[in-house]
Amino acid sequence: MASARFAEYAAMDARNHGMKLRFSFPPYPLVGRPREVLRQYVEGNDPVSGKPLMPQVVDALTKPLTEEEKNPKAARGTPRPRLLQPDTEENLHRLFLENGWTDGAPIVLPTEERVAHMLSGTAADPDEVVGQMTITIHQEKLEYTVEKVAVNAVMAGAGPEHLPVILALAASQETSMPSSTTSFGRMAVVNGPIREEIGMNSGLGALSPFNHANTVIGRAWTLMTINLADSRLGETFMGSTGNNMNYNNMLIPENEERSVWEPFHVRKGFKKEESTVSFFQGWSAINSMGAAGCCRPAQEEMLILMQAFPCIHSALTLVMDPLVAKHLKEQGFSDPKQLTKYLSENFKMTAGQFWGSDVIYSLIEPNARNGIEPFASWLKLPEDAMIAPYTDPEKINMVVVGGETQALWFTTDMWYTQTVSIDKWRPKSGVYQEDEQTLRRRQARQKRHAAALKTSGYD
Amino acid sequence: MVKSSSRKTSSLCTVLDPRGQPTATVQPHPLAPRLESIEGKTLYLIDVGFGGGWEFLEEANSWFARNFPNVKTVLQHKKGIMFVDEPEMWEEIKENGDAVIFGVGG
Repeated sequence: MASARFAEYAAMDARNHGMKLRFSFPPYPLVGRPREVLRQYVEGNDPVSGKPLMPQVVDALTKPLTEEEKNPKAARGTPRPRLLQPDTEENLHRLFLENGWTDGAPIVLPTEERVAHMLSGTAADPDEVVGQMTITIHQEKLEYTVEKVAVNAVMAGAGPEHLPVILALAASQETSMPSSTTSFGRMAVVNGPIREEIGMNSGLGALSPFNHANTVIGRAWTLMTINLADSRLGETFMGSTGNNMNYNNMLIPENEERSVWEPFHVRKGFKKEESTVSFFQGWSAINSMGAAGCCRPAQEEMLILMQAFPCIHSALTLVMDPLVAKHLKEQGFSDPKQLTKYLSENFKMTAGQFWGSDVIYSLIEPNARNGIEPFASWLKLPEDAMIAPYTDPEKINMVVVGGETQALWFTTDMWYTQTVSIDKWRPKSGVYQEDEQTLRRRQARQKRHAAALKTSGYD
Repeated sequence: MVKSSSRKTSSLCTVLDPRGQPTATVQPHPLAPRLESIEGKTLYLIDVGFGGGWEFLEEANSWFARNFPNVKTVLQHKKGIMFVDEPEMWEEIKENGDAVIFGVGG
């Protein structure tokens, strides 16, 4: 059984698993509905078939199988030709938009010339298989090559210099929009020399839409998710509200130069001179809305903001301006591990608050029922008993980004998934070089920002 | 002044398909044989864990008690989360039951 809102989705799921299942659908939603309403659902009709619900369930268990149910045919996608039918630019733009192959904003059409130019940004063979992805476990994965990644990079407005990072995003085989009704958001953090080489912005306004590299690389991840992971609204993507993060996926380079701590990728076992991208998944980010250390130390303010989250599997990532990291170091946290230990030990919430969350009910309560500790013990506690749900400090992460005009940070409910290498995707001759004018302008801008920081007197 | 029609490009353009290739790995699975009747049988009602599903299945369980008093029902939670298969659960149902109602998705 599935609720009626998911009738088409459930049918697709069965088809993609090679079955013709007999579904029955009570009305939607079930969650939060009073008992008498649920009883009416049981006594009433399946809104999809229009037949009485429970007698239909009994029929599903007893009616003899049809030939198709005994010998189902698996749905198989047809291989897609490399090129689309030639058409005018105007018609092709309309085709991409109407087929849902874009994020709704205009794209650059992936002509053969543009894709060939994009491929000059990597040493990899265009036919090399990069991976397989799907946004949902309920459908088959799609496979993609280096060339397919380059096609989506062109569409995003990227240049060949950005391709190694975009290929690393693709090689992770993680999508930027995993399909969940809860509407996930993602974050990707770039570390290492490539940040500077391709002109990414890890400083002032790094999370806002001002920098070409940050913008197009983040967008390319979304377009790859749409086209290489088959994200189709209402068919495979079912996020109820969706998530504004999905436009750019908080794609940022870490501000290693201004951080008082080791770079994030070094803390994950990579060398400082390696270029990497690290992946995070969650739902939301809360701005600290003010300066660290104004009225209370940042670590105490963090404990308050963390109350907003369900505390699922100790997931927490703090995205902070370099000023916050400096402030925390002055508070005695010379290593991020000391801060994660502090937060893990000092954050408390009531058992009632913890177990009252839908996502905890769905994903954690089964552990408690299976006797897994500490959840089994927590489930037996009275509602007002205090628990410390961030049991694993290793899962709390810190990333440093920003331009030091405000000591603010984002508290996010994101969990870290993996870090992958970018370097294997670089051309042998080094990253693709942009034109001289672009490089000159970028250097002038970087010099201006460095001078502003130097004269600020805080170092 | 530029006429709007002059912005249109009449020459044809060839572009690459941006979509990944289907992997065609799905294998067909026939449905399990059906019962002739549920009278006297044991039905499992398995809650997969979405909010409201347990309460709904409790009501469905009551419906069977009212309408099929000779049917034995076993209402239980799926042990793990909804996205993970549990072969031992299916084994238990095959050994002790005759049919299963699995839900409620979404």
